[in-house]
Amino acid sequence: MGYRRIRTIGEGLAEREWFQSAIRGIAVDASRRLYVVGDQHLAVFAADGSFVDRRPTERAGFCVAVDARGSVYVGEEEQIEIFDLNGKAARVWRDPKHLGRVTSIGFHSESVLVADAASRFIRRFDGGGRWISDVVGEEGPRGFIIPNGHLDFAVDADGVIYAPNPGKHRVERYTMDGKLLGQFGRWGTGLEDFPGCCNPTNLALHPDGRIVVSEKAEPRVKLYDRNGGLTAHIPAGEFDPTCKNMDIAVDKDGLLYVVDTARLRILVFELAPQTPGAVPPNGTLPVEQGKEVPSP
Amino acid sequence: MTNEPTRREALSLAARGAGLIALGGVTVQLVRRAGADPIWQVDPARCINIRLGAVGMEACELCATQCVLPLSAVRAVNDYAKCGRCCICPAYFDVKSEVGPDGLPSRKLCPRDAIKRKPIGHVDPYDPLNNFYEYVIDEKLCNGCGKCVMACKEPAGLGSIRLEVRYDLCLDCNRCSIDKACPEDALTRTQNRSTLHT
Repeated sequence: MGYRRIRTIGEGLAEREWFQSAIRGIAVDASRRLYVVGDQHLAVFAADGSFVDRRPTERAGFCVAVDARGSVYVGEEEQIEIFDLNGKAARVWRDPKHLGRVTSIGFHSESVLVADAASRFIRRFDGGGRWISDVVGEEGPRGFIIPNGHLDFAVDADGVIYAPNPGKHRVERYTMDGKLLGQFGRWGTGLEDFPGCCNPTNLALHPDGRIVVSEKAEPRVKLYDRNGGLTAHIPAGEFDPTCKNMDIAVDKDGLLYVVDTARLRILVFELAPQTPGAVPPNGTLPVEQGKEVPSP
Repeated sequence: MTNEPTRREALSLAARGAGLIALGGVTVQLVRRAGADPIWQVDPARCINIRLGAVGMEACELCATQCVLPLSAVRAVNDYAKCGRCCICPAYFDVKSEVGPDGLPSRKLCPRDAIKRKPIGHVDPYDPLNNFYEYVIDEKLCNGCGKCVMACKEPAGLGSIRLEVRYDLCLDCNRCSIDKACPEDALTRTQNRSTLHT
């Protein structure tokens, strides 16, 4: 399988509709609307990349997520801002103790999961913003090592949490109670490995169950099956070489949205049709190169 | 007739006095500057080993090879406040080398083995990836080749290592030979020693 770029969001937009210094987080909802946080605002774009809406945020946003009701959560320093884009005023969850620097948000059942990169914890809140428990963190069986200052995760429909642990060069799976279910990945220079000091940095789940991760130096995106086998990748040439912490989103049709953090663009990729014997445009590798390691 | 100066003469005297005071002030400043002993230093915005955006290239080693001293006065310096304390530090390990038996890179990056690495804090003896590490540059060995600086730079690392002219070693050549060779004009005359000490 190979991926090809089909769209670049951010080109041709007016200055007031786009971002000038940073894009830190993206999310896509069920209707393929794209939510982007950066600078100090939240912007919304239609599926075709056209501008829809823009709201200022109280503080610089590090991540964005959309729940099943369409409420948009923006993670910031010591707080989460929640926007109802149908006109209601924003709500704010303030909790400096449990929301140091919010770099990822996910939803499962009635719980809101939050990654706090300042204390390296993934935490569980109820729908009203009350802290329930620490799910995974520094005091857990492993602990996250995040030299990049960014802690990311995604949660699937069964409540399994997938989190990159860049300092340990692996992707880990946890239950909602914080039990380590398994992990895959290792440091190495092979395409299936995680190179450099600390990779992968960001993670998203594909609707077909695969795990999508991004890396820095060199910046690239890779897709793994649930056993840790590499199935496809988007090579470094697609992104500015100075990119890091490239957030990823995947829509219901499997389109990949990746932030080029240096050029301030969002690149959209689709699965390239393949003819037998043809060389895929973005390369591919045989499946089953890496294997998940069961939890100790 | 009276000997008292006229108004015009008084104003002229006052103007001359003010001019002399200003001239004296300028002279004092010039003398102070002349004694300030400016030093050579590496400009991080120009040095390609340090400056952001210059990625994917070989490190420039002119600081190591062009200094008139047998061991260059330029050294790599690790800013611990910025260091990520990574297990696989790209400035310590050659992250392009093969995987070693311990799962870590099989080669070090520094050709003079001038970076020392040790785990710090609570140490997990079974999983090296589960630890934080301190990286100390041995200045007796470092020759300022800049390889670690280039490797530590964002986005590969956190940019905690930089090159500095050690002014206790620098001979303060009037025409620095590194400066003459540097294509980026990254050696610059800068503040006096007392300012740098504070």
